[in-house]
Amino acid sequence: MLEQIALWFSYALVLYAAIGLLFAVAFVLVGVNRVDPAAPGSKPGFRVMILPGVAALWPLMLLRWAGGKQPPVERSAHRRGSAG
Amino acid sequence: MSAGYQAVLWNRQKKRYDLTILAGILLYIGLFVGLGAALRPEATPETLIIRAFGTLALLMLHVILSVGPLARLDRRFLPLLYNRRHLGVSMFLCALVHGAFSMIQFHALGDVNPLVSLLAGNPQYASISAFPFQTLGFVALGILFLMAATSHDFWLANLSAPVWKALHMLVYVAYLLLVLHVALGILQTERNLVLIGLLVGGFGWIVTLHLVAGFREKPGDAPHRGDVIDGYLHACAVADIKDKRARIVCISGERVAIFRNGDTISAVSNACQHQNGPLGEGRIVDGCITCPWHGYQYEPETGASPPPFTEKIPTFNVRVVSGEVYVDPEPNPAGQRAEPAPIRGSS
Repeated sequence: MLEQIALWFSYALVLYAAIGLLFAVAFVLVGVNRVDPAAPGSKPGFRVMILPGVAALWPLMLLRWAGGKQPPVERSAHRRGSAG
Repeated sequence: MSAGYQAVLWNRQKKRYDLTILAGILLYIGLFVGLGAALRPEATPETLIIRAFGTLALLMLHVILSVGPLARLDRRFLPLLYNRRHLGVSMFLCALVHGAFSMIQFHALGDVNPLVSLLAGNPQYASISAFPFQTLGFVALGILFLMAATSHDFWLANLSAPVWKALHMLVYVAYLLLVLHVALGILQTERNLVLIGLLVGGFGWIVTLHLVAGFREKPGDAPHRGDVIDGYLHACAVADIKDKRARIVCISGERVAIFRNGDTISAVSNACQHQNGPLGEGRIVDGCITCPWHGYQYEPETGASPPPFTEKIPTFNVRVVSGEVYVDPEPNPAGQRAEPAPIRGSS
């Protein structure tokens, strides 16, 4: 039983990582320029550096890219308390 | 600051910091492997490498966890905080070498899936003395990977500083898992009292340091109470604030940094937009409030970073009456100009 769970976990992990890596390559080449205004024009070193994180958090970045959203605005007490 | 991303914003201090880390790593590994080979000739090179990188990663994690509270207690530790993320990534790489060598030596040479071997090779999850400690190390390594992978400023901007900080608080979960990983590993293999003593001592040091720094910090979060004139809350006396420095008070649910800039007073929200560093513990350099953690800068009167940078923090309207500073508790939107209050001529 434990071995079966471990086996399925290993398959799921490999699948998640494989999808994440494929998505991350597309994201650092194209998507990042759409979701973050500071990204266009950035060099390959930056794109390589964020690739592992995108592969790890790919569902989040996929939603961001698909929704055409910009970086979130911090919601601290002072920012909430101000009009803007 | 975010006028565009680079892989690493190198400067002389960062290069010196990273060279020190590299030299420390090489020295530790060299000493550990050299002494280990001399004192325990029966140990294989793989075993020495696994133990050298494992103990080094844990030692580095202790340093990383100590830097924050030490910098809160004594400003002389701030330079260590400046480039802590590079120390964190270096620590993860050391832990990765430890994990990779362990996987190869203990789990990858048979005909069982290495991950299945790691997670299910020892099924005694209900036992304390025989618990599969390797699983704890695997989970901790996963957390450390997530933190290293999201260490770039891109992630701060795209997760927002509070979410990024919450994510990186998982380091404490990783630390606890690693303490258990090592403690159970020692109990099951060596029962070495020196190693157990070092582990308990390190854990005690981290807990004590955080408690002391936490107790020192706590009064700063108490809501500030004072006289109110025309809706403005009395915060402090002008004489309480040194030139180019700030006084911090808690207003409207968060800390406000009230800066004295020559003959004027300005107030901004205390949290830096970058990593929520304590701006009020910084000072005004070249006319800009400068975060003590990573040097992010904001104009005191607008709360905006000087062009071409785009960070903005909320500002507060201030008045000076008879040498006393009063702050409007209602924050202005981030980046909105609040006229600095002149010190002289106030009535």
